[in-house]
Amino acid sequence: MSSPDPLRRHAGPPEPGAIRPFHLPPVVSHSRGDGLRVLSLTRPEIPLASGCIVLDAGETTAPADRGGLAVLAGDILTGGTESRNAAELAEALERLGVSLRVSTGWDATTMSFTTLADRLDDTLEVVAEVLESAVFPEAEVERVRRQRLAAIRQRRMDPGQLASDELNRTLFSPEHPYHRGLSGETESVEAIQRSEVVSFAHRRYRPDRAGFILVGDLAAEQVQEAAERHLERWTGQVDTLPEISEEKLPEARPVVLVHRPGAVQSEIRIGQVGPARSLEGEAELDVGNAVLGGSFTSRLNLNLREKHGFTYGVRSGFARRRHSGLFSIGTAVQTEVTMAALQEAFFEFRRYLAHGPDADEVRQARDYLAGVFPLRMETAPQLAARMAELHIFGLPLEYHHGYRERIRAVTTESIHRVLGSILDPERCAVVIAGDADELQAPLEALGLGEVEVRSGDGATAGVSS
Amino acid sequence: MLSFSFERHTLDNGLTVILAPDRAVPVVALNLWYGVGSRNERPGRTGFAHLFEHMMFQGSAHVPKNRHFELVEGAGGSLNATTWFDRTNYFETLPSHHLDLALWLESDRMGWLLPAMTQEKLDNQRDVVLNERRERYENQPYGDWDERLQRMVFPEDHPYHHTVIGSAEDIAAADLDDVAEFFQVYYAPNNAVLTLTGDLDPALALDRVREYFGEIPRGDQVPPIPGRLDPGERIGGTVRETVRARIPLPRVYLGSRVPPFTVDDFYAADVATSVLSDGRASRLYERLVRERGIAKDVVSYAFPLATGRSFMISWITGYPESDPAELETALAAELEGLTDVSDGEVERALALAETRFLRQVAQLATRADMFSMSEQLLGDAGRLNTEMERLRAVTPAQVRDFAERCLGADNRAVLTYLPEEEA
Repeated sequence: MSSPDPLRRHAGPPEPGAIRPFHLPPVVSHSRGDGLRVLSLTRPEIPLASGCIVLDAGETTAPADRGGLAVLAGDILTGGTESRNAAELAEALERLGVSLRVSTGWDATTMSFTTLADRLDDTLEVVAEVLESAVFPEAEVERVRRQRLAAIRQRRMDPGQLASDELNRTLFSPEHPYHRGLSGETESVEAIQRSEVVSFAHRRYRPDRAGFILVGDLAAEQVQEAAERHLERWTGQVDTLPEISEEKLPEARPVVLVHRPGAVQSEIRIGQVGPARSLEGEAELDVGNAVLGGSFTSRLNLNLREKHGFTYGVRSGFARRRHSGLFSIGTAVQTEVTMAALQEAFFEFRRYLAHGPDADEVRQARDYLAGVFPLRMETAPQLAARMAELHIFGLPLEYHHGYRERIRAVTTESIHRVLGSILDPERCAVVIAGDADELQAPLEALGLGEVEVRSGDGATAGVSS
Repeated sequence: MLSFSFERHTLDNGLTVILAPDRAVPVVALNLWYGVGSRNERPGRTGFAHLFEHMMFQGSAHVPKNRHFELVEGAGGSLNATTWFDRTNYFETLPSHHLDLALWLESDRMGWLLPAMTQEKLDNQRDVVLNERRERYENQPYGDWDERLQRMVFPEDHPYHHTVIGSAEDIAAADLDDVAEFFQVYYAPNNAVLTLTGDLDPALALDRVREYFGEIPRGDQVPPIPGRLDPGERIGGTVRETVRARIPLPRVYLGSRVPPFTVDDFYAADVATSVLSDGRASRLYERLVRERGIAKDVVSYAFPLATGRSFMISWITGYPESDPAELETALAAELEGLTDVSDGEVERALALAETRFLRQVAQLATRADMFSMSEQLLGDAGRLNTEMERLRAVTPAQVRDFAERCLGADNRAVLTYLPEEEA
């Protein structure tokens, strides 16, 4: 084939053009007298306004024997107010084109919404009504509880979720909230009384430690004024709770096989307790993880997927939370190659921890993370979610503005040092959800550790050595 | 009124080019739609369009294996591709000063893919795709619902009778000759739409596109889609299938043939599904989940498909003790009951649709995909600028009419999943 400019194509990838810098507008913070924090970011070119109310009511604030209480309360929050029932509330918001979502994580309960800018006032009026006068009607408590119990049942039969839940159960001691599923277990959810939901809301859905976040074509003063005007009657303080301890690494590696009879794939998790969220070493963890398993071209993915075809994909990542994080490698592989995939994963993991990344890999991962950063800050809902993280984890207002610079500052040495101080392949737990009839004997032969077999419903079926 | 400016060009080799500048952030999104999907597959090679998509990431004449991903990720870009019934799309979003890189990579695999194909790469990606099939379909509760429902909604000689992922046997049977033939027939510039949105100067970008893609020769005219494309307006009765499987909760799917995405009637189907299940004031949620408490969740959705007819699915998930007959009757009654839809319900659905649409077009990559889709399937690249007007033009009478024509018992597939009996 003839080509007018063959050199250009044969010479390899073209040189980049001139860089146009990416500027993120400043985040403006303002505190109301009682502590409610208002964070705003102005994006004039966006015709939508996105906002959220971040409540200090994450699942870690639920009592130890009431796992799932925060999630349940969050689900019922829009179940009715003193003046409107659930259907009327939904109708009022959806007529405005707004879906009000309440999501509960370990560290916060977040109400979020996106609205056309000119409907913001009407939207906030309903949001304020919910915060001030949610009534948690008995019928909604029972209905949502039933839904939640059914959802827990669904989680147990989803192999990926089952494996992840069993990893948490393995890594965290029963006294630690992360031991249980985020939305609780069947017994704890069944035990929750309506009075406990009401009391939880009364104690946790309070403004003094909450964040009010808004992104759109609004100046900071307008956002503050809107918060004052609409949330004027929302008052009170959250109660203080005992500190949650950091979980430690186990002495010996736990190896758990969760039996799913006849499963065509094994869901594999290799994981350990990781650091709580903070700025310390964060850039090293992000870049270091991108090289190991946090990008398509990571060592794990190129090996397990692109070289061996064991899996559709493999990822590793740090889940960073207020109280102890989690590091995990996760993949789903064909049952027949489970042991080979485990061996390759450990080969890459151990080699990486022993020698660290090479310079090319670090350059590649730094440029990747710095480059995709603006793509995670593109829309109003994305920006609002990023700002919610500032509030939840107590990060500085300039956190995102300095992110790319921090990423670009990491080196092969700093990654090797930080990862080496945190990760230990020899104490990482291994959890596999798959067909134990096929997997137990070869897994024991692999010698990773004593194998505990659990049934898919959470009970221990037996331990072999 | 929201309006995105754009230019449309056609190169001498037939490549359609859409350029839609938006310089708010220094990012550019490239989206390349090829007019080939699972609808073009021949019997015995179901799933091949998707397997082929994987092969497009295995390098080309001037790009070694893994290099494609390395180069885009190393440039700070994100990338992927998806295969669907009517098309295959490839996309990357990256800092705008790397636009040339994206054009170089996409043009290299459009023009020079075959020299890089090897048996080893095909064997590898076949294993990857078979594992994708296991992960997303075989090892998932209800994972085979679409395979079963499509077979019920479309006759054997219609291209939507089979799924995009295809059968494991067919995937395993694919060879390198299939790769070469598929590439030569379908991956030609005259069967593709290239869209660029974001931080670009249209005149400069067009020069670049010409430089990278201009030398790729035009292909032959793409052969007609195999099969009988018009299956008829309705299924012609109620067809049923009941499956006992390892699932947590009973679930009933209802499927119907509906007008294709390419005609205005489709908007009524779209609004109807919003009235049914969009938001918590929707009919299905309000009545079946909240009021009667018989459903754990409900969904209703019309696929935007172009070939003859499209299809609409609705499902209801019950509770462990639910009577599946009651689930089916309740869901069917709500679908049929749309014949009394009110003005207020349509207004609510349209308000939600508007916010959702604005959220979608706010993302450069999604906007680029919408441009490509409109051009490829409708021959109207600028459709997204009139999309909301068209949706708002839907009247309650049209929704009622749609329900009468399409949601009755004469156009219904019922797929029921029941938990396996305890041993």
